[in-house]
Amino acid sequence: MSSPFPSSKSDIPVSLVSVETSDSLPALLSEAKSGAITEIIPVTPDQVSNQADSPPLKNPTIESRINPATNQGAAKWRVFTSTFITIFLAEMGDKTQIATLLMTAESHAPWIIFLGAATALIATSLVGVLLGRWLAGRLAPQTLDRAAALMLLWVAAMLIWEVIQ
Amino acid sequence: MDWQLLGISFFTVFLAEIGDKSQLAAIALGGSSAHPRNVFLGTVTALVLASLLGILAGEGVAQIFPAQLVKSIAALGFMIMAIRLLWSSFSSENANSAD
Repeated sequence: MSSPFPSSKSDIPVSLVSVETSDSLPALLSEAKSGAITEIIPVTPDQVSNQADSPPLKNPTIESRINPATNQGAAKWRVFTSTFITIFLAEMGDKTQIATLLMTAESHAPWIIFLGAATALIATSLVGVLLGRWLAGRLAPQTLDRAAALMLLWVAAMLIWEVIQ
Repeated sequence: MDWQLLGISFFTVFLAEIGDKSQLAAIALGGSSAHPRNVFLGTVTALVLASLLGILAGEGVAQIFPAQLVKSIAALGFMIMAIRLLWSSFSSENANSAD
């Protein structure tokens, strides 16, 4: 996968650029020289029409839509950290934490309580993410994003309600 | 191993968490992200660490992490993620209508 064009930004992952080779090549070449495109795969016009008929690619990430040049590893790490930080902060002083605290105080068996709580939390998280994936396969990407945004706003509203109370 | 105690703690936490904030967040983030495995790992790490802190620090957790401030920051974080999702859904709609 060596680039035909010398570019200092060759690490920017642009995986597929499909164009009709006949008319738009000059414009593409200038883009490639500027470093925006590192790989050009020529396709014939009938391939282009076939691609137009085929269903769109799987729901792209928020990250890749905002910034297509995002490195995959960095995107994964950002997803992990943003999820971790928000959920960790949201759970601080929440009823689960208080419940484990009270059970530990009553039973004096902290590790058994922790084992039970951790298993339950892994189970509910797994159910949540799988449910999200199941919905993602059934909804249009835009509908899914808006539904997800509304859910996150609802979670934020619940947190604010807890703060006010 | 006290299986009864294990079962009690499992079901207490399981029932408390079903349909709660963090599970709703897991559904929303897991569905809209292309890296659901990382959403799962992030969620699990956060929840397990929060419960571990609850056990180890006991009542002291409230002193280390002032609940109101911490929850406000979390609410802000979720709002930012929601706005990013809305933004990307509307900008992709504009891109489609421009075609």
